[in-house]
Amino acid sequence: MTALASPAMAPPLDGTEAATTMVEAARSGDLAAFDSLMRRHERLVLGTALRLLGKMEDAQDASQEVFLRLYRNLGKLQASPNLAGWLYRVTVNVCRDARGRRPEETSVEAAAELVSPGADPQQTATRNERQRVLRLSLRLLSGQERAALVLRDLEGLSTGEVAEILGTSQATVRSQIFQARIKIKGFVERYFRRRA
Amino acid sequence: MNCKDWEERIALSAGGDLDPALEAEVRQHLAECAGCRGLAGSIEDSLTLLRSAHEEPIAAGHYAAVRARVLDRVARERRPWRRWVWAAGLAAGLAVAGVFLAMRSAEKPKVFVAAVRPRVAQEVPVRPVEPVAATVPARRPRPRRTVAPRPPQPVEPLVVKLITNDPNVVIYWIADRKEEKE
Repeated sequence: MTALASPAMAPPLDGTEAATTMVEAARSGDLAAFDSLMRRHERLVLGTALRLLGKMEDAQDASQEVFLRLYRNLGKLQASPNLAGWLYRVTVNVCRDARGRRPEETSVEAAAELVSPGADPQQTATRNERQRVLRLSLRLLSGQERAALVLRDLEGLSTGEVAEILGTSQATVRSQIFQARIKIKGFVERYFRRRA
Repeated sequence: MNCKDWEERIALSAGGDLDPALEAEVRQHLAECAGCRGLAGSIEDSLTLLRSAHEEPIAAGHYAAVRARVLDRVARERRPWRRWVWAAGLAAGLAVAGVFLAMRSAEKPKVFVAAVRPRVAQEVPVRPVEPVAATVPARRPRPRRTVAPRPPQPVEPLVVKLITNDPNVVIYWIADRKEEKE
């Protein structure tokens, strides 16, 4: 295997040009470039997969599949400058397939999976609480509502981008995020009313 | 238009999904309606909570685990020739073993006779022995086994029974198998 360069040694590139350079290098067999490409987009892929699937283990499996698809399709990505859009689309598809194969467990509450070691206990409790609310509220949504809300409200994509990724119209996306926001608002109100 | 009809626009407005004209209408309604202001505030608060939870960093180990797994798979996929080398080596080994076994089974068993000369430790005086006539029974020739020819077995003719839709009509086809042999 080619020796992997540490991210600190990577040249300070940013934007589409940097991604294109990395894709070209990775396509020519440079594993260090592919590693840099993964580092660049890992938050996008793993973060989105975690919100869509709800469990870190499943999200990691999905992320692995997404990056493997990226590696296998490096040759086709030459004409596609929007790598992030491609990754979002593949992530949503992989997570949809994963949810179909293994429905989300409702009894498991693994809120500690996002806690970094050494965090302050008081801060950790608050973070765990927020993570729990996020995970439980997303479970209320249908697959399409969930994908639309995650991409629009959590990942901050535009309605047009979400529609393109999900392969639907903007009107449908607006309808889905409206429904999702109303459900989320109802859940958050009930959750904190019960806790009070 | 009652407040229920404003719900969708308010929810979309909370995330900035309305065009300016509709956004202005929603703002005007919110200025006049305390109930809808409460709804808008609740939706915005819940979205803020979710965004803050989503933005919390994921532990670096989770990313590293994914990268390691992917790179491991990629490295394996990049070296398919290794599998071919293994397969070819295994096939060659099996072929050599097969040829060796075939040659061994084809060889006739050889009998090796070793002429061993016994060592004599010391001279022992030997008394002369009177010769005794040895009676060795003459070896009888083994009777050859002969296989008696089998008597010819009667060959039954082949009978094929064809049943038609009509229960009263049955067709029999009889073939003499002895003739076929000849």
